[in-house]
Amino acid sequence: MSDEHNQHDPAPEPSATPMAQEDAGSQALTEALRSSFAIVKFVMVALVVVFLGSGFFQVGTQEKAVILRFGKTVGQEQEALLGPGLHWSFPYPIDEVVKIPITEIQKISSTVGWFAETPEQELSGNLPPPGPSLIPGVDGYVITADRNIIHTRATLYYQVDDPIRYVFGFTSASNTIQNALNNALLDTAAQFKVDDVLYSDVAGFQEAVQQRVGAQADLLGITVKQCNVESTPPRQLKDVFDQVTEARQNQNKVLDDAHSYENQATNSAEAQASTIINEARSARARYVQSVQADAKAFSDLLPNYEINPGLFRQQELVQVMGQALTNVDFKTYLPTTANGKPIELRLLLNREPPGTKTAPANP
Amino acid sequence: MKRNLITLITGAVLIVIFALLLFTFQVRQSEVAVVTTFGRITGPRCEPGLHLRWPWPVQQVYKFDERIQNFQEKFRETLTADQISLITSIYVGWKISNPSAFLNSFKDGSVTAAQGQLESLLASDNITVVGQHPLSDFVNVDPKQLQFDQIQAEMEQMVQGELQTNNYGIQIEFLGIQQLGLPESVTQAVFDRMKSERNILISRAQNEGQAEAIKIKANADRQANETLANAQAEATRIEGEGVAEAAKTLPVFQENPELANFLLSIDAIKQALNQRSILFFDDRVPPFDLFHGTLTNPPSHRP
Repeated sequence: MSDEHNQHDPAPEPSATPMAQEDAGSQALTEALRSSFAIVKFVMVALVVVFLGSGFFQVGTQEKAVILRFGKTVGQEQEALLGPGLHWSFPYPIDEVVKIPITEIQKISSTVGWFAETPEQELSGNLPPPGPSLIPGVDGYVITADRNIIHTRATLYYQVDDPIRYVFGFTSASNTIQNALNNALLDTAAQFKVDDVLYSDVAGFQEAVQQRVGAQADLLGITVKQCNVESTPPRQLKDVFDQVTEARQNQNKVLDDAHSYENQATNSAEAQASTIINEARSARARYVQSVQADAKAFSDLLPNYEINPGLFRQQELVQVMGQALTNVDFKTYLPTTANGKPIELRLLLNREPPGTKTAPANP
Repeated sequence: MKRNLITLITGAVLIVIFALLLFTFQVRQSEVAVVTTFGRITGPRCEPGLHLRWPWPVQQVYKFDERIQNFQEKFRETLTADQISLITSIYVGWKISNPSAFLNSFKDGSVTAAQGQLESLLASDNITVVGQHPLSDFVNVDPKQLQFDQIQAEMEQMVQGELQTNNYGIQIEFLGIQQLGLPESVTQAVFDRMKSERNILISRAQNEGQAEAIKIKANADRQANETLANAQAEATRIEGEGVAEAAKTLPVFQENPELANFLLSIDAIKQALNQRSILFFDDRVPPFDLFHGTLTNPPSHRP
């Protein structure tokens, strides 16, 4: 605007000067002025073109734009949003273009519940040793439902859903989101027990935080994409918390051992049991078969026996005796003494391995 | 007089532009303006767009941001109903709802002054509301007893009410607690308590693990023994079945018990003689009866 203004002013001056002085002697000067006037005119036209051309603007793929004409949005609600491409608006001060990142996922972190650490310290992992207590305003933390102090922090990923509300509804929407996230962390922690937050229900805690932020998301014109929550016990109590974890792991190990013992014991008992039963079955089969075989042999022998029982007995006995005597290593024959009395024989019995038996057989 | 015409047009354009600058003003989207004529409010609410005005000193335009603004309180130590010292920090989203009232309440519509006012309101309401609740309303395992949302709502209501009564032209859009803490000295006591709780958990984990393991092992042993006992019983039953089945063949032996007994005896002898054995017979037993009376030679020396 002011550019145009300045360019207009010098324009009339060179034209006015040659009119007033129609002196032929200064024709060279007039020529010079004329040509400079032409240049000024050209510059003026060029400026107007540039002025109008400056109304072109580009909207990227990840953003939307809104044109404000005399401060008011052009179009209503969603129609006011300009998508990616080349657009034109009147130059300032008539129109103003406001660009809003939209498809891009934005990120905000809450460290209201985290202990004091600088990004450098976090990267290097070198933290100064913790003091005996937590100083309000320096060390952040949250209080759990069972009144434990823990540290927790969250990172929220969100997308702008309603760009007009996001930009024209809040002086700092991202600050508002951060406040909401802080509040969600605090409130959710107040309903969870310390062990749930840290160990047994980490996902549930995260889910609850996300849900709570999500409830406020509509108000803010955003959609929550993801919410990552990280929690840790106070550094002052790290050792004792680690010990609990260790004790619990040990407990699990002891239980695992017990369960494997249980498996082993029951399995081997099952195996033994089936061996016992199978043995009993085969013993039964063997027994029944042998009895049946005996019966068959009996039936076969009976006719022979009935012909002459005495002879049969004698034959069988002699046969057995013969077999028995074949097995015997040495044989001694002691004849009857002359007076007809049997010779007295004394036997010294040693303790012998159970394989050996003395079997007096005196029919 | 072509040149003059151009000059005239240029001049006219310039005048128009100058006049527009003097006699109009723009209200940007998200803003709201108040127009005063000789100090008196004549345009209480100008929406976004282009508006006409009389130049200074007749009319004056005050523009206000109508968006929701954030304000967060510094840490404040308050006492709960059960006399526990609690450190809280509250955030609010507030906006100018009535620009002319706002302009009347704060000199030149100063946002800083408004925030100062808001801060003092929040401070007193924070203390009042926190003082009405025990700590168990702030943190509780039981969601039914937890009154976090209710506390926030109470505060919001109270601040809102006071803002309205005083006609500040400010409205609270949302209010929340964004920090809940304990005084530094208390944190140490909490740490001590947490530590002893952890120690209890440690010993519990150890003892419970052992006890449970013993229980499991004992149970396993019992189960194994039971299985074996059942198997033994089953085996005995099976053997009994065998005996019963074998007994069916008894009638065969009944035909001639004498032979049966004889055969059994023979079998018994056969089995007994399978082992290393020493037998004594006298010479009446066949087949040694054959030797009877045959030998009279002196007894050979015993090996």
